[in-house]
Amino acid sequence: MPSQIHVRQLRKQFPKVLAVAGVDLEVAAGEVFGLLGPNGAGKTTTLEMIEGLTPPDGGEIEVCGLRWGRDDAEIRARIGVQLQATSLYNKITPREALDLFGSYYPKRRSTDELLELVQLQEKKDAYHITLSGGQAQRLALALALVNDPEVVFLDEPTAGLDPQGRRSLWDVVRGMKGAGRTVMLTTHYMDEAEVLCDRLAILDHGKVLQTGTPRELIASLGIPSVVELTFDGAPPDPAGLRARLDVPIEARGGVWEIPTADPKAMLPRLLTALESERLDYDQVHVRRATLEDVFLHLTGRSLRD
Amino acid sequence: MKHPNPLALLRQQFRIEWRLYLRDRGAMFWSFLFPLLMLFGMGMIFRSGGSQSLTLVRVAPAQESARDAAFVRALNEAHLKVLTLDAAAAEARWRKGDTSAQLESVGEGYRLRLNSYLIAQGNLAAQAASQAFMVAQARLAGSPEPERIPMVVESPGHARSNTYAAFLVPGLIGLNLLTMGLFAVGMVTVSYREKGKFRRLAVTPLPKWVFLMGQILQRATVVVLQTAVLLLAAWLGFGIVNQGSYLVFAALVVAGTATFIAMGFALSSLASTVETYGAIANLAFFPMMIFSGVYFRLDNAPKWMQSALMVLPLSPYLRALRAVFNDGATLAGHGLGLAILGVWALAAFAVAVKRFRWV
Repeated sequence: MPSQIHVRQLRKQFPKVLAVAGVDLEVAAGEVFGLLGPNGAGKTTTLEMIEGLTPPDGGEIEVCGLRWGRDDAEIRARIGVQLQATSLYNKITPREALDLFGSYYPKRRSTDELLELVQLQEKKDAYHITLSGGQAQRLALALALVNDPEVVFLDEPTAGLDPQGRRSLWDVVRGMKGAGRTVMLTTHYMDEAEVLCDRLAILDHGKVLQTGTPRELIASLGIPSVVELTFDGAPPDPAGLRARLDVPIEARGGVWEIPTADPKAMLPRLLTALESERLDYDQVHVRRATLEDVFLHLTGRSLRD
Repeated sequence: MKHPNPLALLRQQFRIEWRLYLRDRGAMFWSFLFPLLMLFGMGMIFRSGGSQSLTLVRVAPAQESARDAAFVRALNEAHLKVLTLDAAAAEARWRKGDTSAQLESVGEGYRLRLNSYLIAQGNLAAQAASQAFMVAQARLAGSPEPERIPMVVESPGHARSNTYAAFLVPGLIGLNLLTMGLFAVGMVTVSYREKGKFRRLAVTPLPKWVFLMGQILQRATVVVLQTAVLLLAAWLGFGIVNQGSYLVFAALVVAGTATFIAMGFALSSLASTVETYGAIANLAFFPMMIFSGVYFRLDNAPKWMQSALMVLPLSPYLRALRAVFNDGATLAGHGLGLAILGVWALAAFAVAVKRFRWV
């Protein structure tokens, strides 16, 4: 498949920090590609360099086979961008904003169609300043689609939305994929990344740690399941049990986490050991490993730290 | 792919800027009403009806002598309104600050007491009184009357623009330009940059110059309208009209608009937050508003101060504007002033082009 976004050895040096330290990315047409990482990992800087907002200090970028500095107007006509915070005139209405931004492009989608897509018909004549956070976010999304773009960039599209708002936004992103658009988004929600993205790059400290489909990334851990034990009070020190059973028990935020490839064999041993140690646990859960565990494994830190 | 015609986009940016400006009622109300309030307020307060209304308070002497009578007659002939009060009433009026000049008898002679707060009117009354005194003396002595020198109060150029309101009109036009440049252009630019409005535009194919030009044209038309409203109000309210060439006047307004817009853009490159910009803009705004001759001329200020103020762009600009508007003069003799303005315009333009930032 032809590559819609091609990034090689991308670098950005800020006065005090190397924000992006040699990033390689390859995104195929029609793919939803996610940049997953904690705050400050360099996701937004990477995205903004690809969008042509921030000039890189090194490396190469190709979008739709075009290059910044040579085909700027052409690239801008073919991409749609939702910035982390979209600021508009206070007293512009969604309808006017869509008409106005649409007029900048050679190709445009109808304002009514976009209003319907993001469910803003009822607010189409309200001033931007009166929209709720979710409505403003949906307008920003509609603005990113105003030119019927081939490639859409979404920077933290669901930040600050309630669960219902997040789900309806996910539907819009799935719709984009259905329409054959290439989508590149950043997020620090692993569930979002897992649900939406065909492929992911996990970023930390300006570097890509691993790339793959969510399934591949989780499978690469080699530990499909995680056993979780909760306690009534503070969890006891797992060191003794860890040595006795020879399993990697970690205490995190009031919970013991025990990654395992074979929960069926491990659980009885664990429970017997707990009984003999007279450790009074509250509940036992077995869950499959998530991207959070992948991130933990790769960085030694939690995504939300 | 066929990109939209930039001129069509420019027309559209201009239209949307205007539409959004009209929605901001508060700002619009003030930018149009403030100059009118100043014009009518100050124009009324300082309405001078010419020399006829000059009042001289006279403290009634214990006994009116023939000499006093002759003096009063001569004073009346000099078109001075003589208000004779007893000592207590005169003192009360003086203390209230209403008296500009007061005539008192001292022994055989007289004394004039002038109010330092109303020194302009006081001086006029004193001069008229001195002339009247000479006339009265000549009459009493039976010698030939000295000739009176007639006095008229009017602006340097034309008798019709002799009110304070007329002086104020070009000042307020200049002040409008300054406010527009520093705040409607400079402050708005900083706030757009700070809030990321420019960033959202930067990812679209809209050429940046189209956006800026749309903004500039909108501000320029606002200023032209403000000027027109002010001129209309001055004409209807005070009968003040432009005494000089309308073409030169219009050219000056256009030149001023360009200069102060460029200044706004230049200053906006010095600050990254609206708060910092506000401090910088006020630093530029207040000295010019107060000392550059919007409300009064600084002819009595020390020479060095006047020279220093002439270096600011508003002072030479207002001098040229007043020469045309109030005095019906040409721009001859304003070469240096206009050159100063031109240097400001070019420097501001250069800084604006070189230092302007979108993010």
